[in-house]
Amino acid sequence: MNPKTRDPHRPHIHARAEHPAAAEVRADQVDREPPNDPTHTAVRHRRSKTLWLVLVIAVAAVVWSLHETGVSVSSLVSGWNNAQAILAGLFPPQTDGELLRSVGDAVLETLQISIAALFFGTILGLFLAMLMAGNIGAPKWISLPARWLATVFRSVPELLWALVFVAAVGLGPAAGVYAISLHAAGLLAKLVSEQLEAVDVAPVEAVRLTGATKLATAVLAIVPQARNNIASLVLYQWECNIRSSAIIGFVGAGGIGQALGISMRLFRYEELATLMIALLLLVVTVDQISRFLRHRMGATTR
Amino acid sequence: MRIRLTGVSATFPNREVPALDNVSLTVGDAEHVALLGPSGAGKTTLMRLISGAVVPTAGSLSVGGKNPAKTSELRDIRRCTGVVRQGNDLVHGLKAQTNAILGTCPSWRLRDWAAVLLGRVPARYAQRVDILAEAQGIRPYLESHVEHLSGGQRKRVALVRAVLPEPRLLLADEPTSGLDPVTSLAAIRTLHEVDGVTIVVSTHDLSIARQFPRIVALRAGRICFDGSELSDRDAQAIYGGTAARA
Repeated sequence: MNPKTRDPHRPHIHARAEHPAAAEVRADQVDREPPNDPTHTAVRHRRSKTLWLVLVIAVAAVVWSLHETGVSVSSLVSGWNNAQAILAGLFPPQTDGELLRSVGDAVLETLQISIAALFFGTILGLFLAMLMAGNIGAPKWISLPARWLATVFRSVPELLWALVFVAAVGLGPAAGVYAISLHAAGLLAKLVSEQLEAVDVAPVEAVRLTGATKLATAVLAIVPQARNNIASLVLYQWECNIRSSAIIGFVGAGGIGQALGISMRLFRYEELATLMIALLLLVVTVDQISRFLRHRMGATTR
Repeated sequence: MRIRLTGVSATFPNREVPALDNVSLTVGDAEHVALLGPSGAGKTTLMRLISGAVVPTAGSLSVGGKNPAKTSELRDIRRCTGVVRQGNDLVHGLKAQTNAILGTCPSWRLRDWAAVLLGRVPARYAQRVDILAEAQGIRPYLESHVEHLSGGQRKRVALVRAVLPEPRLLLADEPTSGLDPVTSLAAIRTLHEVDGVTIVVSTHDLSIARQFPRIVALRAGRICFDGSELSDRDAQAIYGGTAARA
């Protein structure tokens, strides 16, 4: 149970910390009505104050960011001529046979990178998520390092991971796979562990009451409840992988991104247009497949 | 399995009135007891104390000679205890039959795990699951996913889950809530048919309680009746007068 979302009125028992039932004791009070005490109104008052504070901070943050980044309509208008030159160069897209063949190869390579990275990222991500989820109950000395690792994996941008792996294993799709795998694992670990923690506590306690071990409880009561949402997250990650692999190709990690980078540096804008159309088609296709599958599973996330 | 509570109290923080107040109770081996009382009387807390999910703030208790407050002994108690919790506690996303066998998981071998993960019932439990499900009238739904079952059907799956591992102690918290009178009686009959097992069933339904040879009534966290014959006047004393505590 996430302590932040716990109803402040719900009594929780000062169970002895070392007692294994400590977590269950808090869960036991779920059904009880909040007591009718005068602190109710005080809490509501405090909440509305907090809401105002958050609103003011949010507005200040937006104004500050717009000002400091120099966003303005005039700069867009004055820059229009340069943009026009590039956009004009894109037409007509190049369509000769040789180019189309190489674009096809690049598209397939991007697809391969995304699938391979999804494979590794999912295995690593689900493993980390199981260690991180509070209700599965891995010991602190395991769950904390897992949490740190996942944070490092997802906070370092894919582009940076790609640079590291290009330096390590050389130019090509393998570097892209490693880079995207790590980032995907970090993201999935966080999102999946949240899904695991959000499951209904009653069935989990029911299985635990049979004397089941923590691992058995996780496999039998926690994972089945979150299964559809986890599958949906993995499919969504596949869409993200396609987009990522297009970007990290710029630093030489293979796929359609690498071809895009080369055409751009050589100012071959007609080629660039063909590649962009191919990328768009790929992204749309993968999005549709993923959306269809997620819809079929009836998952509730995204 | 013998249960013994001596002067047990359980107080939840932020609450002045204790959920259980100095309760002493002995339930003998293979005895069948109905725990009666209005909502908020402390029935669920008492059940949860026995299954080790709540720790007493005062007093001592032993279940089968073991102390549920001790981690090492708690697992032993749980492995020979079947529990039907209040409300819906089946695992969504699994079939009814998989839920029905979850109570046996501490004794699964690798082959059993493989069968369960493939959505099948391990061979050594199949026959008993069928018999129990037939008695509860849920055999046609065993292959269905839990989310497609009605509240009453789920309750009966939970009952099968508790009985299947052949526990020596059976704790059922409101096992008949949400069931029609006929199905309720069938459920209680299933419990009575289990031989040599200590059974504690909580209920706020007088007619259900009267199916049991011994009735213990709670009111405001204290035992206010303990006997075999519950007269209408006794019942009045348990429920009547002041309203149930918040």
